[in-house]
Amino acid sequence: MKKTFALVVAAALLAFPILAYSAPVKIGFINSITGKEAQIGENLTNGATMAIEDLKAKGIQVELVKEDDGGDPKNALAAYEKLVTRDAVMGVVGPYTSGCANVVASRADQYQVPLLVPAAAKEEITMKGYKNVFRLNAPANVYSKVLMDAVKAYKPKTIAFVYAATDFGVSTVKTAQENALKMGLKEVANEKYQQGQPDYRPSLLKVKALNPDLVFLVSYDADAILLMRQAKEIGLAPKAFLGAGAGYTTAQFAQQTEISNFVVSATQWTDDVNWTGAADFGSRYKTKFGKEPSYHAACAYEAIRIMAESASKSKNPASLRAALKAGSWSGIMGSVKFADYSGFTNQNNHPMLVQQIQNGKYETVYPAPFSKKKLVYPFKR
Amino acid sequence: MMTPPAIVPEALLPLEKFHYTRRITMSFLQPLLSGILTGGVYALAGIGMSLVFGVMNISNFAHGDLMMLGMYLAYFAFTLLHIDPYLSLVLIIPTAFLFGYVLEKLFINRVINHPHQNQILLTIGLGLIMSNTALLAFTSDPKILTTSYSSSAFNLPGGISISVPLLLSFLITCVIIAILYIFLSKTTTGMALRATSQNREAAQLMGINVAKMSAIAFGLGTALAATAGALIAPTYYIHPLAGHSFLLKAFTICVLGGLGSVVGAGVGGIIIGVVEAMSSTYLSSDWKDVVVFVLFLAVLLFRPQGLFGKMGGQS
Amino acid sequence: MKQITLVTILAAAAIALPLVIGENPYITGILISVLMMAALSSAWNILGGYAGQYSFGHAAYFGAGAYTTMILLTNYSTLNPLICIAVGIIVASIIALITGSIVFRLRGHYFGLASIAVAEIVRLSVLNFDFTGGAQGILLSDVSLWGLDLNSKNPFYYGMLLVLVVTLGITAYLRTSKTGYYLQAIREDQDAASSLGINLSFYKNKSLLISAALTSVLGSLYGLYIRFIDTSAVLDLRLSIEIILTAIIGGVGTLWGPVVGAFLLVPLAEMLRSNLLGDALIKAGLVSETSALGIFLKENLAHAHVLVYGIITVLCILYLPKGILGLFRRAK
Repeated sequence: MKKTFALVVAAALLAFPILAYSAPVKIGFINSITGKEAQIGENLTNGATMAIEDLKAKGIQVELVKEDDGGDPKNALAAYEKLVTRDAVMGVVGPYTSGCANVVASRADQYQVPLLVPAAAKEEITMKGYKNVFRLNAPANVYSKVLMDAVKAYKPKTIAFVYAATDFGVSTVKTAQENALKMGLKEVANEKYQQGQPDYRPSLLKVKALNPDLVFLVSYDADAILLMRQAKEIGLAPKAFLGAGAGYTTAQFAQQTEISNFVVSATQWTDDVNWTGAADFGSRYKTKFGKEPSYHAACAYEAIRIMAESASKSKNPASLRAALKAGSWSGIMGSVKFADYSGFTNQNNHPMLVQQIQNGKYETVYPAPFSKKKLVYPFKR
Repeated sequence: MMTPPAIVPEALLPLEKFHYTRRITMSFLQPLLSGILTGGVYALAGIGMSLVFGVMNISNFAHGDLMMLGMYLAYFAFTLLHIDPYLSLVLIIPTAFLFGYVLEKLFINRVINHPHQNQILLTIGLGLIMSNTALLAFTSDPKILTTSYSSSAFNLPGGISISVPLLLSFLITCVIIAILYIFLSKTTTGMALRATSQNREAAQLMGINVAKMSAIAFGLGTALAATAGALIAPTYYIHPLAGHSFLLKAFTICVLGGLGSVVGAGVGGIIIGVVEAMSSTYLSSDWKDVVVFVLFLAVLLFRPQGLFGKMGGQS
Repeated sequence: MKQITLVTILAAAAIALPLVIGENPYITGILISVLMMAALSSAWNILGGYAGQYSFGHAAYFGAGAYTTMILLTNYSTLNPLICIAVGIIVASIIALITGSIVFRLRGHYFGLASIAVAEIVRLSVLNFDFTGGAQGILLSDVSLWGLDLNSKNPFYYGMLLVLVVTLGITAYLRTSKTGYYLQAIREDQDAASSLGINLSFYKNKSLLISAALTSVLGSLYGLYIRFIDTSAVLDLRLSIEIILTAIIGGVGTLWGPVVGAFLLVPLAEMLRSNLLGDALIKAGLVSETSALGIFLKENLAHAHVLVYGIITVLCILYLPKGILGLFRRAK
């Protein structure tokens, strides 16, 4: 009896390291699977799926616990609490929207479980000094800064803002106005619109009458296409259309070749940037899901990868936090390091890219070290 | 707004005046035109709802979702069958009519004598089922219908441009309204519908099958909503929740025109289209919806029977 | 007597529940949502169920409370939250009086539509002004009251419970009071009530004010709880409709109907969102994980929560217009 017992114990002790090695890393993933942002949420989900597969191939087993917040901060909070108290995850990736990210971030230090935000833009998410909150993507002010830097050489004088009355739209334009001031640009029009209407012509006509050099746009998919269609209809032709994020960076937008050619947009990622594995990720995604990835997919992929790799080497959430703070990675989003600077805490100083649609394809045109093609300026039809 | 420049060389004065007039024209006429054209589509949505109000005395909160059905039908006709969205109306109208007829027989008919709020809640429930089934089936990827003329415009002298798809949908709307008017005033069924709308009990006593009239009215209302959806599809986007932005507008149009009045809803639609365009131009785009709602409340308070009262003249 | 004993037992259980559950923020969070929806529907019920005035724009009062509280606390961080809640009640009451003066003259269709129009005007105005945070919403960093730890759930559990108890108490009192009888008379036949000398406008506005005040307190509590609000969280038409559906499905015009509705629908929504229902069906062996149905359920059931609401609503209106409680009443 004693001998059998000893054998069993010995076997268990031997097995333990093997068990520990192959025990899956448990990570939570909060995303907008339903709700208004579901379309982008799908990109994030797909990017995460690819990350899990690639990690598995490298020997890291990940148990990804997915939660849907539907874009509602109340649900994001419930999801986060479920993940950290019932599912006992080591770390959480997400949420997607800034509203949800803000609410979850404010509880991260309370529960002491690291949160890695992949794609939410509002600056304040990582400006509150929360030790457990990390962000991979560049915050809102970088969208407008990088766009204006890309056209700075051409010395534009006036700028008009046309943007959706959403959190992202309003906050991005606020930072854009600050950047415009610094660049000496004069704001001639400020047209905020409610999404979902069929007729943007009155706003666009007002902008056309003032003849700005730059038209700075923030829209989601559907309104981006409608705006550009109607802009073409009424003959609005500034020296450049600058699209900050979302609607102006999707494959669907580029396919509307009649209206999208030469539109400039800011993005967190493109598939032709010379970061390790970027092009490969793009083509694998396209093969697997039948459509091209948005930058959100790349953000999710890299966020899950970083979180999982760090978690596999950590014993508990506290050491995971330390690993995230200290570590540095290089992958499809370029080099990643979470640092404290300019009022940000644990923010990755991610360089955003400027792309332009040329001949129906997105080409990275700025900054020079990452791009292969040159910006076409001024805009022409 | 626009004022002529203070100091202008003598010789150039006539030119400046021309440009000034041109700018006034542009900033007034252009939005007015696009407002009228957009208003035409609104009118169609409003007429469908007004018909249902008149004959059945029901607020149909699923009206926006019926428009959405029309959008998707147009989209699939275009991508799968390669039929132009305006031509596909030939298919969409009967399909939508049938759908509405069946819907009425199965669900709406059961609450025809129930309190208003129950009717509203039933249509809300049906609308939720429709839009969420669409979400499950088609996902929330907005679909874009791009025809060869989607961003084309006629350029008139004076710098005015008229959107080709908008003009086409406006013309088609006029034709449909004309046909509807003839149907309602000249055919037996049409007259029976109007009789039911004037006085349901009297109509029943005169031998009219009011239950059948309700089903026809709802079928027609659905067909009109779906048509509005199909007409706006080439200049809008297609999404399971896309109909919701039009629901409250359709109610406003009905009330403005007079619940039950087809002509009223037609005129109401144009008015709302113009009010929106003018508010966007002279106020700002974000307040234009508020203007429409304030107008709505004003009509309810000061002229609840609307511009034209009920079909047949009873308010 | 029996009813009072039942109510006392329920109350005691409700008060003791958090202690029994212990430190479980997830479950407590769900209970808070249930209590909030129960209170919201009960407050609506005073106007809709008892006075028969179906307001489709109740979110306006929820938002009024939430926004007032958040704006005050963001600008004057040392203010006592209770004062903010009180100011919220005043703001909501003003909106209620304005609304009442417009909509109570209208009948039938017009009334419901007008209530939506007013709520939408409130929502769009908040969206367009800067001092309300506009489209960005309002984020509150820290809030404190009497040294309570407002980062934990329990204070909000008891807060919501308190409002629910007060609302139910007011409803119970109204039911057997003169005001209550007048309201029900108005509900059954407005014209007859008026011809009996009942001042329609006074009683309708009275019930609206009570309803709006209670709703606004809930809005303020919500703001303090989540610490982030924007127009789609607190002023959306969908919230107004959800409140009505909860009351209808539970049993409109009854005391416990809205509570029953909330206890049914809110956990159902959460179970669908977190895919608990799908997982449970699979674990119970009712559905095989790899079958087509299983895959469909796993992928899509979570997205179906609004669809389920719609189906329940239709079934309810058609077959159970008096709601779930109506079922029990008929059985008696």
